[in-house]
Amino acid sequence: MEVIALGYAEFKAPKGLIKVEVELAGDKISRVSISGDFFMYPEEALERLEEELIGVRAERESLLAAVHRFYGSTSIRTPMVEPEHWVEAILRASGGSQ
Amino acid sequence: MNPSVVINITKEREGPCSRWRLLPLRVDDASTAMAIDEALLRLNAEGKSPNTIRFWRWLPSAVSIGCFQSVEREVDLEVAKKYGVDVVRRITGGGAVFHDHDGELTYSVVCGQEDVPADIVESYRLICGGLVRGFERLGIHAEFKPVNDVQVNGRKISGSAQTRRWGSVLQHGTVLISPDVRRMFELLKVSPEKISDKFIAPVFERVTTVERELGRRPAFEEVRDEMSGGLADAFGVELVEAALSREELELAADLRSKYTSREWLMKR
Repeated sequence: MEVIALGYAEFKAPKGLIKVEVELAGDKISRVSISGDFFMYPEEALERLEEELIGVRAERESLLAAVHRFYGSTSIRTPMVEPEHWVEAILRASGGSQ
Repeated sequence: MNPSVVINITKEREGPCSRWRLLPLRVDDASTAMAIDEALLRLNAEGKSPNTIRFWRWLPSAVSIGCFQSVEREVDLEVAKKYGVDVVRRITGGGAVFHDHDGELTYSVVCGQEDVPADIVESYRLICGGLVRGFERLGIHAEFKPVNDVQVNGRKISGSAQTRRWGSVLQHGTVLISPDVRRMFELLKVSPEKISDKFIAPVFERVTTVERELGRRPAFEEVRDEMSGGLADAFGVELVEAALSREELELAADLRSKYTSREWLMKR
């Protein structure tokens, strides 16, 4: 049986504090909850970002690819928050930012 | 088709003669205030509400949180309960705000997406620019700090949040007149990450108020008059005072239950 691990971390983007709660099954994300004081247009998109991350390996390249897929799927706007910032927050929560 | 006719029509609709509604200063509870904002946004998008500027105070005092925030991570609910402070989730992003009945004025602007720049930051610049003009009228030199703040000497005096839905724009925000800053920080949980940068002053020193900058405490009506004047200038429109319509009040009454619901508050 896969090891389930829970993590939480915060990362301060140029505009907005990103807070991530993550559940890992092995090295993959099985659940993720993102909150914070950032802006995202349209607002409903945040749930799609969380869905996009399910099943993704918790390492930089895979996460970045998933976040880019999210931004590419529709016209998502997040003023002064870049794909790298979400990745950094998720990595920290996964305990893999070192 | 004669092009000059088209230009004239456009000018009449969007030019300096254009009229927006200014609502009377209101005092509302948190859920009602949020429901009115959503009702105005929805009806403006349907062409049933005019472009509108309004100001209100919160009774009881309240904390509003951004639509992406976790209420339990941001607000000390025990402290809120102790002081009888309401807690409500907005439909706009951004951070938690303490709306002190005795020291804070909240504004909102509802208009069509075509009335603001398509670029998000530029649209904040336009509306916050109206607030900057309002502060100038009060005698305070303020400046827009992207994305969504107005500052005086690097200290925040106003913060705003905007959403765009159904073809219209809602931007609402706070004007700090003389809030109880101590209570503000008792209510709001300040993340260590936010103050971890040793070059950034504590949050307490990053906020200022109209009272502090002016050396006097202006009446809510005075702040409202100058801010609405500043906003009208920024948009190049004339304001006409009028009340909420029956349709707006009815829709707000329907929407209010969402904002009082535990499900909406605990969404994240």
